[in-house]
Amino acid sequence: MADAAPPAAPLEWGSSARFWRTILLYLGRNKSLAVGVVLLLGLASLVIGGYLFYDVKLAEPLSKMPARPPSADAWLGTDKHGRDLFAVLIVGTALTCKVGLLAGLIGVAVGTVLGFVGGFFRGWIDAAINLLTDVFLAVPPLLILVVIAANLGTSLSTTDMVFVIAALAWREPARRIRSQVLVMREAGYVNNARLNGTSSFGIIFKEMMPNLIPYLMVSFVLTVAAAVLAAVGLEALGLGPQNEPTLGMTVYWAMHYSASLLGMWWWVLTPVITLVVLFVGLYLITTGLDELANPRLRAKGA
Amino acid sequence: MHAVVSRGLTVKDLSIVFETDDGVVEAVRGISFDVQPGERLGFVGESGSGKTTTALSLMGMIDPPGRVVSGSAMLGDLDLLTLSPREHAARRLVDIAYIPQGAMNSLNPVMRVGEQVEDGMIDHGADLNKAARKARVAELLRQVDLDPSVARLFPHELSGGMKQRVAIAIAIALNPKLLIADEPTSALDVISQRQVMQTLRRVQDEMGASLILIGHDMGLMAQFADRIMVLRRGLLVEAGPVRQIFRAPQDAYTRELIDSVPALERRPATAPPVVREASKAAEPPVIALEGVSKTYKRGLFDRKGNQALKPLTFSMASGTPMIVSVVGQSGSGKSTLGSLLLGFIRPSEGRVLAQGRDMHGLSAAERRERYRTVQAVFQDPYAAYNPFYKVDHGLAEPLRNFGVATRRDDILAKMRSACELVGLDPDQTIHRFAHQLSGGQRQRLMVGRAMMLGPKLLVADEPVSMVDASLRSSILGNLRKMKDDLGVAIIYITHDLATAYEVSDYVLVLYRGRVVEAGDPERVIKEPQHPYTRLLVASIPWPDPDRHWHGDDAAEAELAALDGAGAPAPCLVRSTLPGFTLKV
Repeated sequence: MADAAPPAAPLEWGSSARFWRTILLYLGRNKSLAVGVVLLLGLASLVIGGYLFYDVKLAEPLSKMPARPPSADAWLGTDKHGRDLFAVLIVGTALTCKVGLLAGLIGVAVGTVLGFVGGFFRGWIDAAINLLTDVFLAVPPLLILVVIAANLGTSLSTTDMVFVIAALAWREPARRIRSQVLVMREAGYVNNARLNGTSSFGIIFKEMMPNLIPYLMVSFVLTVAAAVLAAVGLEALGLGPQNEPTLGMTVYWAMHYSASLLGMWWWVLTPVITLVVLFVGLYLITTGLDELANPRLRAKGA
Repeated sequence: MHAVVSRGLTVKDLSIVFETDDGVVEAVRGISFDVQPGERLGFVGESGSGKTTTALSLMGMIDPPGRVVSGSAMLGDLDLLTLSPREHAARRLVDIAYIPQGAMNSLNPVMRVGEQVEDGMIDHGADLNKAARKARVAELLRQVDLDPSVARLFPHELSGGMKQRVAIAIAIALNPKLLIADEPTSALDVISQRQVMQTLRRVQDEMGASLILIGHDMGLMAQFADRIMVLRRGLLVEAGPVRQIFRAPQDAYTRELIDSVPALERRPATAPPVVREASKAAEPPVIALEGVSKTYKRGLFDRKGNQALKPLTFSMASGTPMIVSVVGQSGSGKSTLGSLLLGFIRPSEGRVLAQGRDMHGLSAAERRERYRTVQAVFQDPYAAYNPFYKVDHGLAEPLRNFGVATRRDDILAKMRSACELVGLDPDQTIHRFAHQLSGGQRQRLMVGRAMMLGPKLLVADEPVSMVDASLRSSILGNLRKMKDDLGVAIIYITHDLATAYEVSDYVLVLYRGRVVEAGDPERVIKEPQHPYTRLLVASIPWPDPDRHWHGDDAAEAELAALDGAGAPAPCLVRSTLPGFTLKV
């Protein structure tokens, strides 16, 4: 017990101006969060800029001369189908992020509801949810995804992909949120809220949820990263949407036509480097948010 | 075996600062003292007084942003403040050992007790073979009044008192010249506290080491220390032999600390409970328990379970304000009783009736509504406020939910009066975050919140156990005020018999989930009859150095005999209280 050490002040959510100032100051100290945000913002502005100022129709097959290296005409070259790889980069990143974000959103939403219902109300409903989560956590996810994706066949769209991935994305958030709720429901202020005549609904949304925002953010980013990984994994196996140039499908086609053996390095590197930037950005943001959510790391100024 | 130490510890002009974002905090300011071999020095002060920081500096455990600015600490011819971290590590246990607060958390849960005691010896190169080490461990365990077979157990198999003894055994393994015990018994109940402190005293006498005891409990200090140093905000307020400090305190702060310990001699006069409003006497009781018990089961296959509370029946009549204390050690079922009274948990058997209505036969809306008349103050003022909101949130919510005040001005006015009721400045309290208030301010505001809502029943679960001593009497005074002025019936749950004596009209002594003795505090606490109550009372450290802390061996033996006997002994009802009915 260090008598004199001042307690680490929690973040204050006062006025919105103060909020943003706090955020900016915080980003200055939390380097990994800042770098992660910059990487993803860079990728996002490339995609948005591309949609605004570049002809993304060139991502369709037979748009340009096939199998050409980078040139003034096609900045990142073209693949064997005659797709412009710069357009593919723009469209593919957007599609892959769409799958990741939507599946992540559904996963976190479903997981949060399950975690709250189980952790807050306990009893048989908690036991049932827990059992379900355990079963799904125990089975290798790729196995389930392959079975689902293979059964849906080749007519899969990216929207179908969202639901395929989301079917498993809820497990981790459900487990994580439940454990937080279990701790929090014993907190003095939750007991006081009961004494205040606040309903269960009010306790969940007004008392517990605000304190879980950092956890929900971490959970969301982690789930998005996992969803992108799952999507790219399925697509690289050829189980993705055949008619849409997602990053994973681009990797699949590059492998399918032995791009590296043919010396078409631009075909391989374009999706791979984009994916690396995406994953490193997501990873740095999760580590950064982890520090935000975990006061012990924050107090050390790690 | 009996280490002969030439000189004790001499500390001169010790200053420690913490460099924080908000500037430099002077935690310790030019403190000088010495401890002779065989002597027991007590460091007393509230949180933030610098007592722990001083001790940590002797151990070389001040980490940035903390820094020792000046001073020397000579142990023999060794200056503890100039040692490198590596040298400090080498001196620990050999010359100077630290017995931490809450040994339960400092033992490794996956190592056997014996291995942990051996570890220190091995680390410091004690030249012993395996058999000799084992023999030494057995000897050490016997020294701290534990059976040598304890060496084979894991920490979770031991009670809190046993774990604290193990921590003492580790500390004395290499015969250090100086022992520092930092609130070594703060997590223990009074009975174990006395036993552990007796052990510590005997062991230290045998070794002839110097001992520094850090604490805030003046009673414990009076019973244990030879000399006392009173610290406040890093400054030495007063130092002297224990009798001088207690008999003739020079400083007002010292006197305040001594006076803040409730003693059986000083029982403030309170209005005896009378039937205030005869018209209300016919109403159903404020709270009634009908054969209520609670059994906790572990897992699906635990058929028997652990009965935390044995069937209990009592009722408190309407219109008769009273304070009924429920006292007992941890594990006696007193907190379970509190949760049952508030309807937080369901009784395994029986019914809890608030104003004649079963707390569990209600609709969700009715269940919320019952808190209009049943309120509580909990132990931990730090957890009581949602860190996301300003303190206003916790005060305004019930006003809105119960329809007491709906307009902003009305709510604000109510909140301001709640602050004033408990002596807080509303301008310094409202619109602040809880972390901007001290623990004492937070707890007083919680009491203010309860007063503002004007319930019929208040469950106060250890409301002062985490509050600095100087604020205890003011909070207890507020409870009395609630009873006398607002006519609230209060159930005061505590492990502290002295405060129970101070505030209550009636006392229930809970032992292993059963009420073993009940009656007015004059009888139950001053002249206890049940062996458990006798043991509890005899274990209280009184703030009087001349009052021998003898304990009660006869009571201990009787209690053991009672536990051994199959049938529980009947509850001793010493007196009755108008309006309070206890069925045994």
